[in-house]
Amino acid sequence: MKIDRRFLLRGTCQGALAVMGLPFLDCFLDSKGEALAATGRPLPTRFNTFFFGLGLTSQLWIPKIAGKDYEMTPQLKPLEAFRSKLNVFSGLRVPLDDNPNYMHWSGAAAAATGISPTREKEFDSKTIDQQIADVISRGARFKTVSAAAAGDSKHSYSSLGGANAIPAEPSPLSLYTRLFGRGFQDPTKGDWKPDPQVMIQQSVLSAVADNRKQVMQNLGTADRARMDQYFTSVREAELQMEAELQRPEIQAKVAIPDAPAEMVCNNALPNLRNVTPLMARLGALALATDQTRVFNLSVSEPPSGIFMPGDSLSYHQTTHEEPIDQALGYQPRVAQYNLDVMELFATLLKELDSIPEGDGTVLDHSLVFAFTDQSYARIHAVDGLPILVAGGASGRMKTGYHIAGDGSPVSRVGLTLLKAMGVPLDVWGKGSMQVRQPYTDLLT
Amino acid sequence: MSRRSNGENSQRATWNAWVVSFLSLTGLASGAMAAAAITSAHAATSSQVVSMRRLTQQEYRNSIADIFGKEIEVRGAFEPTIRIGGLQAASTSVLSVTPVGFESFTNMADSIAIQVTGEKYRAKLPCAPNASREPDDGCTAQILSHYGRMLFRRPLTQEEIASAVNLSRGLAKSQNDFYAGLRYGMASLLQAPNFIFRMEAAVPVGDKQWTLDPYSRATRLSYLMWDSTPDEELVQAAEKGELNTAAGLEKQVDRLMASPRLDIGMRTFFNDMLELDTFDTVSKDSILYPKWSSGIAASAKEETLRTTIDLALHENGDMRDLMTTRKTFLNRSLAADYQIPFPFKGEWMPYEFPADSGRSGVLTQASMLAMFSHPGRSSPTKRGVAVMDIFLCEPTPNPPNNVDFSIVNDTSGRLKTVRERLMAHATTSTCASCHNHSDPIGLSLEGFDTIGQRRITENGQLIDLSASLQGKKFVDAQGLGQFLHDNPKYTACLARKVYAYSRGENSEDVPASAFKAAYNSFADSGFRMRSLLKSMVEDKDYFSAPAPETASPASKVPAQ
Repeated sequence: MKIDRRFLLRGTCQGALAVMGLPFLDCFLDSKGEALAATGRPLPTRFNTFFFGLGLTSQLWIPKIAGKDYEMTPQLKPLEAFRSKLNVFSGLRVPLDDNPNYMHWSGAAAAATGISPTREKEFDSKTIDQQIADVISRGARFKTVSAAAAGDSKHSYSSLGGANAIPAEPSPLSLYTRLFGRGFQDPTKGDWKPDPQVMIQQSVLSAVADNRKQVMQNLGTADRARMDQYFTSVREAELQMEAELQRPEIQAKVAIPDAPAEMVCNNALPNLRNVTPLMARLGALALATDQTRVFNLSVSEPPSGIFMPGDSLSYHQTTHEEPIDQALGYQPRVAQYNLDVMELFATLLKELDSIPEGDGTVLDHSLVFAFTDQSYARIHAVDGLPILVAGGASGRMKTGYHIAGDGSPVSRVGLTLLKAMGVPLDVWGKGSMQVRQPYTDLLT
Repeated sequence: MSRRSNGENSQRATWNAWVVSFLSLTGLASGAMAAAAITSAHAATSSQVVSMRRLTQQEYRNSIADIFGKEIEVRGAFEPTIRIGGLQAASTSVLSVTPVGFESFTNMADSIAIQVTGEKYRAKLPCAPNASREPDDGCTAQILSHYGRMLFRRPLTQEEIASAVNLSRGLAKSQNDFYAGLRYGMASLLQAPNFIFRMEAAVPVGDKQWTLDPYSRATRLSYLMWDSTPDEELVQAAEKGELNTAAGLEKQVDRLMASPRLDIGMRTFFNDMLELDTFDTVSKDSILYPKWSSGIAASAKEETLRTTIDLALHENGDMRDLMTTRKTFLNRSLAADYQIPFPFKGEWMPYEFPADSGRSGVLTQASMLAMFSHPGRSSPTKRGVAVMDIFLCEPTPNPPNNVDFSIVNDTSGRLKTVRERLMAHATTSTCASCHNHSDPIGLSLEGFDTIGQRRITENGQLIDLSASLQGKKFVDAQGLGQFLHDNPKYTACLARKVYAYSRGENSEDVPASAFKAAYNSFADSGFRMRSLLKSMVEDKDYFSAPAPETASPASKVPAQ
């Protein structure tokens, strides 16, 4: 009976037909009635992105010294506590080839895909976090999780390609609810058990997926690609359910807090200072409890709308309209905003580093890729894009270096990260940004 | 059982017979065709999907309320849309469903299905099972095909019913509960692509000419007019082929337009066209403008929608007056923002600004003024670009990459007002072409600050509100309003946007010829919105579709 094939498979539990009314739970418990024992697999390596708009001020962030002994420049100061776990990349090129420099877009897209974008506000391929998730996320509940501290779910630089950005959770409460609300079972508690409801939901998804061929059959090319995306999303929901039936193996000693209160989430800096650390904390907990292995956090859109109440100019306006201070040689108010944003970045590193697990912290078992859209926002320059990478990737990445101005395309960083995350590929990026050489010195 | 009529019982018997024959593994063989009169001829024809639009949040909510009743709660997040050619509606033809979006759809589907199969709701279902602890395929099929027809906006195919009935039976059996099984069958329909996407299917009418099939016509009309799924009468008109005749179409169009629900459809359109959704993420500087609150933001949006709908539908007014009218609606918090006393007891009061208020239509409402400003100051450029884009369909190109805007900001220097500062860089030739395009509009609105309050001076200097655009000189917002009122580009832009909105197309790609006849009727009527709508949807080409690119691609679908 063809239509029922997947349904029956989904409903099968250790050879017995669950749909026949066998008690669901029995097949998940071992002989002592405890949840199945851990398999002793090593901790997964996690991937994070941190997006901030408008770059930094080159005079203030680029260390003069390259290599291991680089100095903490004024704009790197907020990251000082993580110096030994940080790699700083300066002098990266962003060759756009024949495509226009889409302001506040080309740089960000190049960093995230290794491809000079052909359309504004669209990525020409999956973003790096999605490419990595394809390889590392199997078994985690959520393939990726994104959060936007400024309260707009469109502030997401995680994409399946084209205009299909993954919506970001726009508040700590919505992030919490997604991670630790319905469907979450606390693996830090002793009474973890699989929820039989999950198996039923799996059979519903199977029924939906079984209609794929019929739905796809009279669509044009573009709509077929869209429908294919829909069914890929159905498949991911099935995998999520599969993951929910397994107790996550965790080593961190953490407790899941109560749900956070509703908070004002917008571009006002004081609000961002409250929201960002909270989102970072929730993301870190999600990684530690293996709810996801890829966490993306943004604090603004590329033309950052961040503003300080009382100052009539926002961050983005300031980059274009503040005169260069002749004595200093840069825009002082912009430099302050740059620093403010680095302080927000530091809160993510702090939260990741504050959760011990195994032989280190969550940060040690992660890579964190911080990227931006402009190197010099005032004139929309992209060459010299500031890129910061933190975390040791479970020992696969050496840290504590300033990789200075060798003129490599920004995609070389991406390729290095993909390699460190165990993605099997030899070449990444397109056109002048196509690279085959990762920073081998950084890989162990 | 007593509440069922004989007619329902015999239909039920038909279902039982059909389901049994289907499920006894005769598959889709002829025995199953007994119920063909009830199921769709849809799949059997040569129809092709020519457009696929993801339901918007509002369309989804309205559809669920119409299909199951307003008591059904819909709780969940919807994926954001983007604006293409000035309309979010256009992006629904481009966007798909991401994993995050589907997760939300699947959760909402289950939550709705739980409510619909819950004890409180059961009496509303078209049948009850023979025994509540056992599967009943006949009743299941009847219920699911009844709601499925409304959800999919066409009758379900036999395969679709069989798939959902199968699922329900298996789960009803394993849980010894008919309604538990029904819940999942229902949930499977609620998250199916045929519900989540509005599929527009077309059939060939000539060599290269295709036209929307009757159900797709009903769907397009209904979401345009009511922002919701077609009602029973409209589906029946589609079924009987009435929407393919001029008289039948006109009858339904008149009915849809006579309903007060037209307000809902047009509110959604104007919300999209006026970009009022961007208001949801606007933040204002709480130190410089402590008066501003999220309450004011929501009220300002409502003010603009009320003004627009009142003019367009309730007064059957001249749409050009949207640029000039001083009539509006205020609530208490808005009155405070406008510095007007609020002696009214109710929530909203009609109000007319005095002639010397400087106000001019929606252009000077708090919504438009605040949306297109910075958090702490007004922005003539943003306002100018928005007016050009929204009302004249003339998008402004992006500024060049390497512009030095610094002089614009130096408020301590000799350039006191925004105008002087803007002019300083608008005299540079690379900048001038665009700034001359949009700034005059914004500068004439400088008499209002970032939250829409009137002002006379900026940094101690009297504000100059004169402007010159496309060879016409005018002063202040009222001058701008009159300029737009008299500009045929504005009314043509409105017609273009309605057309693109209803078809889910990029307004910039729509040829003027597509809505020419509709525009002529619009103009002849003295720019009445109803004339525009009616003539547009009754135009002979409104439901035409380009020939699909592939004739029979079924064989190319790879197995997953």
